[in-house]
Amino acid sequence: AVCSMAVAEKSTKERLLCALDNLEVLARELIEMLALSRGQKLPQPGEDTQVLELLVQRDRDFQDLMEVAQQQGKVHQEMQLLEKEVEKRDSDIQQLQKQLKEAEHILATAVYQAKEKLKSIDKARKGSISSEEIIKYAHRISASNAVCAPLNWVPGDPRRPYPTDLEMRSGMLGHMANLPTNGVNGHLPGDALAAGRLPDVLTPQYPWQSADVSVGMLPPHHGNDFGLEPPGHNKENEDDVEAMSTDSSSSSSDSD
Amino acid sequence: MRSGAPEQARNRFQSELEFVQCLANPNYLNFLAQRGFLREKPFVNYLKYLLYWKEPEYAKFLKYPHCLHMLELLQYEHFRKELVNAQCAKFIDEQQLLHWQHYSRKRTRLQQALAEQQQPQQQPPPHGNATAK
Repeated sequence: AVCSMAVAEKSTKERLLCALDNLEVLARELIEMLALSRGQKLPQPGEDTQVLELLVQRDRDFQDLMEVAQQQGKVHQEMQLLEKEVEKRDSDIQQLQKQLKEAEHILATAVYQAKEKLKSIDKARKGSISSEEIIKYAHRISASNAVCAPLNWVPGDPRRPYPTDLEMRSGMLGHMANLPTNGVNGHLPGDALAAGRLPDVLTPQYPWQSADVSVGMLPPHHGNDFGLEPPGHNKENEDDVEAMSTDSSSSSSDSD
Repeated sequence: MRSGAPEQARNRFQSELEFVQCLANPNYLNFLAQRGFLREKPFVNYLKYLLYWKEPEYAKFLKYPHCLHMLELLQYEHFRKELVNAQCAKFIDEQQLLHWQHYSRKRTRLQQALAEQQQPQQQPPPHGNATAK
């Protein structure tokens, strides 16, 4: 029983064991032969030498294999050392990874906060108005008692923080409607704002309509989104034509 | 009678300016609510459109700034529904007037307090109303 030594896939351990088995078998055969030769003649003259030779050969193979095993052992040790190195490098890399992640996190936070700051700077800049304008406006709305009641105001005083019916009727919109002239102190019941017809020339008489509007100051886009009839008008009155209605919208609406 | 585009725009500006300020009048709001205007979707859209008056370049034309607050409130359906009640409008009116008088009253109180402080140091001053400052 000779196991094939030429097969490369067999591990060294297997081959060693195989060789040992062979040696054991051969040795046993030899010993049997010797034992037999005590009793009787050898069946074949050269058989014992054959077996001896085989034995020696196997032993030599065995020795070779042992050397191979030794070499392999050395290689294996080197491998282990290298593996340790690799482990170390791996842990180094992981450490760096962690630090990188941390750094990225910190930077991201910093960038985010900086962006927020920029946003609020922008916002503040957008909302900035010259103090002169604010003062002018404050004077305007205060002097007319629009936001602060006149100091001598008593109940019965017709002045109000909103346009009264009288003011509303005197304005541009008011002239579009035909309104009855009853009521007290310019305050009419709501019913008084009834439907009417559209007149031609409209002139503001009360300062609240702000006649000093510049032409460049256009309302934002006003398309046919609403499809409504403005309030203060009788719906059944078909003569109504409104500035707010869906006529050809002025395309000159440049937004500023 | 066709008007030119700039004049049309001017008219539109003026009419929207007037209308948005009318919203400061709670009685007018009640009127609108009772006639169902506040329920119509196009009108609600229009109210949203009018929010441009909050921008400074437009707001500076408003004489009655209360209207902006009303306009904001009008964006809410609940508010629009409530305005149908005359009591609601009356309440708003009262509160508005009280708020309007707040600064005047505060100023009057301050002047009174100032006058009282100065009294012991001077001869009793003639009973006079605080002059408008």
